Amino acid sequence: MPTSTYRLHTLLMIVATIALGFSLAVYVLYAINLIQFPFDYDQGEGFEVYDTVLFSQGQLPYRDTEAYPFYSSNYPPLFHIMAVPFVWFFGEGYWYGRLLSFLSTLITASAIGYAVYRDGHKHRWIALLSGLAFLASNMVYHVGPLVRQHMMMVMFETLAVVIFVKAYPQKNTKWIAFGFFLLICAGYTKQLAAITAVAVIGWMILQNPRRTILWTIGFGITGGLIFLWLNIASEGQWWIQAIVANVNKFEPFQTFGLFILWFKLHGFLLIPAGLMVAYEMYFDRFSIYSIWFIVSALLGGIGAGTWGAGDSYFATSIGAMCILSGICFSRTLTHSWQLQDNYIKRMMPSFRIVGTGLFIIPLLYLGYARATLKMPTDGVFAPIAQILNITPNIRGNFFDSATFDVEGYANIGYFLSDEDTQAGYQIVELINQTDTLVMSEEAGFTMVAGRDVVTNPTQLRNLYLAGLYDGSQLIEAINKQEFGLIILRAQFYPTPVLEVMGQNYKITETILMNGFDYLILRPLNDGVIDS
Amino acid sequence: MKLLSKLLFMLSKDFTISKRQLGIMLLITGILGAIGILAIDILNAGQQGGIGPAQMFALAIMVVIAVIGLTLIPLGDTPA
Repeated sequence: MPTSTYRLHTLLMIVATIALGFSLAVYVLYAINLIQFPFDYDQGEGFEVYDTVLFSQGQLPYRDTEAYPFYSSNYPPLFHIMAVPFVWFFGEGYWYGRLLSFLSTLITASAIGYAVYRDGHKHRWIALLSGLAFLASNMVYHVGPLVRQHMMMVMFETLAVVIFVKAYPQKNTKWIAFGFFLLICAGYTKQLAAITAVAVIGWMILQNPRRTILWTIGFGITGGLIFLWLNIASEGQWWIQAIVANVNKFEPFQTFGLFILWFKLHGFLLIPAGLMVAYEMYFDRFSIYSIWFIVSALLGGIGAGTWGAGDSYFATSIGAMCILSGICFSRTLTHSWQLQDNYIKRMMPSFRIVGTGLFIIPLLYLGYARATLKMPTDGVFAPIAQILNITPNIRGNFFDSATFDVEGYANIGYFLSDEDTQAGYQIVELINQTDTLVMSEEAGFTMVAGRDVVTNPTQLRNLYLAGLYDGSQLIEAINKQEFGLIILRAQFYPTPVLEVMGQNYKITETILMNGFDYLILRPLNDGVIDS
Repeated sequence: MKLLSKLLFMLSKDFTISKRQLGIMLLITGILGAIGILAIDILNAGQQGGIGPAQMFALAIMVVIAVIGLTLIPLGDTPA
């Protein structure tokens, strides 16, 4: 190959690295911006903080929602338990949950880079780009620094898979056991990890059904015992709140929309990942990465279409995509393809894969960086936005290539301003002005004000739709106007609760925070009580 | 007896599923899945007619699974 060809390849690789490096810089700044914000950025974060507070006091958050404070969590405990020491040292806060989630994404990206390096013929540069590609994904970026368990689950899943790929064929008992331990951690971080467990077990069955059955029995017993303990300790509430109430309505059009968006954003790497799957299917053995990619894309994608789910359900498949595409590129650049002779090979035309790959690979990463571009368009970013010919499409000062047009794509990712923080404290001040009970759709305001966290709206809604929520005590309290203040945002409460609020409360103020209108409701006869 | 000994062999320490076996499994899954999806309409006769978008999506996946299975069968005893 002529030297000029390699020079051009190196130049293109440098440009691709700068492009993905820029994406990382935006991600880090976004995380720093968000970590400092003391209220909910994504609705429901505060309830996760509250779960951590309950665990720090030795209490389980799986509770009877019929009685005051009408609160329960619907998430497994591990993410919250890991944040418990922070509560002991720093008190209630959002920053450590966001930091833990953000660090989880960095660990996942490192594990992806390591997997590509180890299993892709030790090509350092491609390994680096694979890790950066994971962090560049819009679907990873905007949930990465939230008080959410999702990215920590993806971290445990990725670490487990990267361990299994070597340990299982080598029959390394210690590491296989550790891999299963990580899978259990993933499952008790978020239930969705069941998809990765299915993929792992499926791949193991291909290797050897007997060993798989034995390992799966051990895995099932361990996971089952934890499940049983949680259910007994919570007097059956774990089953009701975290399992039964988590089955939500499936919206096929949300699934289709998100699948299309997933492909639009990640197509530059999805196609190479798909080619790697096809190669393993016809010319090699299936790797765990391929099975993981197929299963997580299919089941995760379908799951993304359920109410309350969304694009983050694709994050696991994006991790698998980054590994597979990275290995595909490394093999191309290190001349490591070996095609077994079979009927498929005889039908294939011959082509110069290495020479073409030298140009195509960095261009694919560049195309991916452009397809997943999201950045602020004001302040220091304004000149960059101008050079890139980017105009804001979110809140007038942010560009997101995904746009906010697809149902189920989380409408977040932009940076917060001081005005948002001030608006949050304005709501806290309103709480401080009343001596009575306060009901808030987001826990952050009541926690900052030192009040009880009352209700978890989405959980009550899910229970109600599952026919598991009566709500008479809460409805009675609203009817009696026992709450001096009600703070609403998305109005996720069950319909009868919202109806009784409408009959007994009036909107007195609307406060804009974080791009959303927060409705402040006071009792209709507020003036009578005061007089 | 032959079937039993085959099943026992599948549970031996050294057994690995081949491309052909995987292909057969995928082909059967795809065909049975497609029949099942189409059968939903037959069993639900009288209710909303026609195949819905979710059914169509699932049907397409089953067809793809069956076709992949079919293409794997000629690859014989190569480990999957």
